Amino acid sequence: MTCEQFQELLPEIGGGNRNIEYETHLRSCQECWGLVSDLNAISRQAPLLQASEEPSPQLWNAIESVLREEGLIHSGRQQPVLVLKRNPRWNLAWMLPAAASVLVVLGVLNYQGKIHPVSTESTPTLTANTVNVQDRPVVTFSAEDQKFLTAIAFRSPALRAKYERGLRDVNAYIRDAQQSALSDPNDEEAQRYLMSAYDQKAMLYQMALDRFQ
Amino acid sequence: MDSKSRNATLIVGLTIAGMICAQAETRKEMHFKVGRHATVSITNQFGPISVRPAVGREVVVTAILASDKVEVDQNQRGSRVDIFSHLLPAADATSGQVSYDVAVPADASIVLHATDGQLRAEKMRGDVDFEEASGDVDLRDFNGAHVHIKTLDGPVTLTNIQDGYVEITSMGGDVVMNAVNGPMVQVNSVSGKILYDGDFGAGGEYVLTSHTGDIEAQAPAYASIDVFARSVTGPVVNDFTLEPEHTPFAIKAGSAFAGTVNKAASKVKLLSFSGKIHLKKR
Repeated sequence: MTCEQFQELLPEIGGGNRNIEYETHLRSCQECWGLVSDLNAISRQAPLLQASEEPSPQLWNAIESVLREEGLIHSGRQQPVLVLKRNPRWNLAWMLPAAASVLVVLGVLNYQGKIHPVSTESTPTLTANTVNVQDRPVVTFSAEDQKFLTAIAFRSPALRAKYERGLRDVNAYIRDAQQSALSDPNDEEAQRYLMSAYDQKAMLYQMALDRFQ
Repeated sequence: MDSKSRNATLIVGLTIAGMICAQAETRKEMHFKVGRHATVSITNQFGPISVRPAVGREVVVTAILASDKVEVDQNQRGSRVDIFSHLLPAADATSGQVSYDVAVPADASIVLHATDGQLRAEKMRGDVDFEEASGDVDLRDFNGAHVHIKTLDGPVTLTNIQDGYVEITSMGGDVVMNAVNGPMVQVNSVSGKILYDGDFGAGGEYVLTSHTGDIEAQAPAYASIDVFARSVTGPVVNDFTLEPEHTPFAIKAGSAFAGTVNKAASKVKLLSFSGKIHLKKR
C-alpha cells in the first residue's frame, strides 16, 4: 500500500474498518503514522472545545472556497476524520489550539522516543522538513504550516509574510533543538531548548487564533 | 505671488487640512464603575494603548477614532470591562486606527491585544497580559505583578519591575529589561536580542533563552547569583570571577560557564543556540 492509497482510505479506516494491509503500512511509514496520530489527537481535543464561540457561516463558506481552490478539499468527498461528523466544515477555531497543543506534546514525546524510534536521519513529520544546500539547511513548511499560512493569508494578506517569517524561524529553532536533544539525551538544557522552541510555535498558532476568531 | 502671500496661502491650506482631519477624528469617553481586582480587556487592531493608574474605583477609557471606518464596542459584566475596536468594511491601517488612553485602578488586571501599535502601561500592581504583533511594548514601575507578554517582532522594554513574575515570549523583537527582579523572570526569544541590566534581586530564578539572538546581562559586583550560561554554537563571555560549582556535564571553555557570585541568592540561566552570551560586570 502506498502513502497515497493509505491517505485516500483514511476516512473509511477512521470509521473503524482497519485491515492488515493498513496496519502494516502504518507500522512501516513514519509519515502516515504521524498523520494518524495528529488526527486522533485533534479528534480527542475537539469535543473539549465545542463550547467555543462559532464564527459566522460566511467565514466558513469563504474558508471552504479557498481550501477548495487550493485543492485541499474536494466536493463530493467526505472529509477525513479531522472533521467532526456533527459539523462537516473545517472548524479553524478548535483546530488551531488543538494543533498547537499537539505540536507541543508530540514534540516532547518524540524527543523522549516514546512514540516510535527516532533515527538521526529522519525527523518527525510535524516539524519542518529540511534540505541541505551548501551546508546551510533550508527550512520548508509542513502541510499543517501551509494550511495555517493559507488561513492567515485569507484573513489578512498583509500579515502572512510576518507569520511566514516567524514560522520559518521557529521551525529552524525546533530543528536545532531536536538535533541537540538527540545528540545528548541526558542534557537537561537541550530539553529546555526544545520546550522553548515548541512554546514559540504554539504561541504563533495561538496568536493567529486570537487575532482572527 | 510674493513669498509672503505664498506663506499665507500655505498656512491657510494647512489649517483647513488640519480642521478636516480633526473633524474626521472622533473622541469617545467611557466610564465604568468596578470593584477590587477588576479586569480590563482591550483589543485593538491599529493604534496605541496607554494604561495608567486611576484614582478611585472607576475605569475611564478615552478612545480617539481615526475615522468612521472603525467603531468601539464596549461591554461590562461586574468588574470585567471589555473594549473592542471593530473595523468596518474598507478600513485599513490608517483609517482603522484607534488611540486609547486608559485609567484603571492600580490593582486591576489588564489584558491588551494589538496588531500594530504601541502598548504602554505604568505604575500598576495588577497582572498584565499583553499580546502584540508588531508594535512596541513598554512597561514601567510595576510592583508585585504577573507580567505576561507575547510578541511577534515588536520590541519589549521593561523598566523598574519589582517583585514580578515575568514571562516574555518574543519571536523577533528585542527584549530590554532595566531594574527587573522578582521570583521568576523568564524570557524566550527566537531571533531577538535579550538585554538585562539589574542586580537579579534575591531568591529569584532568571531564565533567558534564545535561538539566534544575543543575550547580554549586566549586573553590579554585589549581585548574588548562581549562574549557568551556555551557547551551543555561539561564544560566551564572562566578566565576573566565579566560584566553581559542580555541573552535570563538562564545561567547555568559550561556549559555557557556571559558578556562583557572592551568596548565590538568585539562579540565573543564560541559554542560546547560536547567539553570543555576555555576562557583564557593571
